[in-house]
Amino acid sequence: MFRGKGEPLCCKVRGMLSEYIDSRLDSENKSLVERHLEICEACSKELESLRMTVQLLHRVAEVPAPRSFTVTVPEPRRESAFGPASMRWLRPATAIVAIALVVLLMGDFLHGFENNVRSNSGPGNVTLSAGQLAPSSAATEQQIMVAVPGVMGQMSLATAKAVGYTDYTMVRSSAVSQPAASPIPSVLGNEGPTGAQVIVRGEGGVGWPLRQTEIGLGAAVFVLLGLMIYARRQRRKKVGAR
Amino acid sequence: MDEQDLISRSKSGDVEAFNLLVEQYQRMVYNLALRMLGNAEAAEDACQDTFLSAYKAIGKFRGGSFKSWVLRIAANSCHDKLRVARRYRVVSLDTLLLEPDELHQANNNESPEDYALRRELGRFLSEGLTHLPEDQRLVVILSDVQGLSYEEVAQATGSSLGTVKSRLNRGRTRLRDFLLQREELLPSKFRLNK
Repeated sequence: MFRGKGEPLCCKVRGMLSEYIDSRLDSENKSLVERHLEICEACSKELESLRMTVQLLHRVAEVPAPRSFTVTVPEPRRESAFGPASMRWLRPATAIVAIALVVLLMGDFLHGFENNVRSNSGPGNVTLSAGQLAPSSAATEQQIMVAVPGVMGQMSLATAKAVGYTDYTMVRSSAVSQPAASPIPSVLGNEGPTGAQVIVRGEGGVGWPLRQTEIGLGAAVFVLLGLMIYARRQRRKKVGAR
Repeated sequence: MDEQDLISRSKSGDVEAFNLLVEQYQRMVYNLALRMLGNAEAAEDACQDTFLSAYKAIGKFRGGSFKSWVLRIAANSCHDKLRVARRYRVVSLDTLLLEPDELHQANNNESPEDYALRRELGRFLSEGLTHLPEDQRLVVILSDVQGLSYEEVAQATGSSLGTVKSRLNRGRTRLRDFLLQREELLPSKFRLNK
């Protein structure tokens, strides 16, 4: 702002003016600055203006704090039944139950439980003799669809016989004369060397515990999902209230 | 109670002891924040952040000047606030108030005109401070407004003594230049280049 003639020395002195104002220079530098100020009017003006600026800054009033800034430590809050801790077990529990339900449904769909069903002789089972089957013509055997344990898919009774399977399940047939009182969701077959023997299983039979389990698991999944949604809403309400 | 006792009690989780320290330093921290940020509301926020951070970090305080340590946290809070203000272009200046000069202080007879001039000068000074780069502003405020020694400023800013001297010199010069550029607006008695 103020230009002196002896530029290099002026620059050096101006760099020390701030410390000179604050009396922070050692005696050697202090005398150097003072000697220079006696002969350099520009640096003297520089000093004067800087000193005035510092004096103005010293006059800035200190204002009181508008309020107290003391720290308050919040008391530990009581954990509600649907707090973060409950979310910790709700999620995995729901996941486990849902996975169990899916596995059961898949197994049921793929007839993975039929071997167990065969050993069960519940009150809904009906044994049909070979005579209750429609006349065993080649055309009828083509219409009767059977499932063979350990073989994927279905095949006609004629094919099963031709291959030599003796243990099979009749899935659907228009040739079976069904008892009126017992609907036939699935038919288990066991044909010995002397002829066909078919076990007809009704709804009250061996599939019922499986269905009960599936329904129970489904209900549990719904209940757990409901609890999760409720717990999440409760948490959001609390965060909003804070 | 001794400050060291309060610090050691605060370290062991005594909030009451820490709040005694807060009461001791809140005025200084608030004034630093107000002058750094130029806005009373932002200064309050920065001040609250400072003491909360200090309470959380009191265990890490390894001795030395507690005042410098708190001022350093306050400076960091102010930097954070300024960063956010820059991002959202929030610029609002509250005028600094200057103390009456010695003559008026002694006689207690300041006229309304003198008071208006003093306010006007405070407004210029406040504007001039916000025109300084943050590092220079901090050093100028700590040294010339808050009255800290060079050593305390160095501790509070985490800089060397040489850096403090250099920033102070550049900051004062820059502020002086800002005021000189508007000298015609200043009352004659406050003109720097008479």
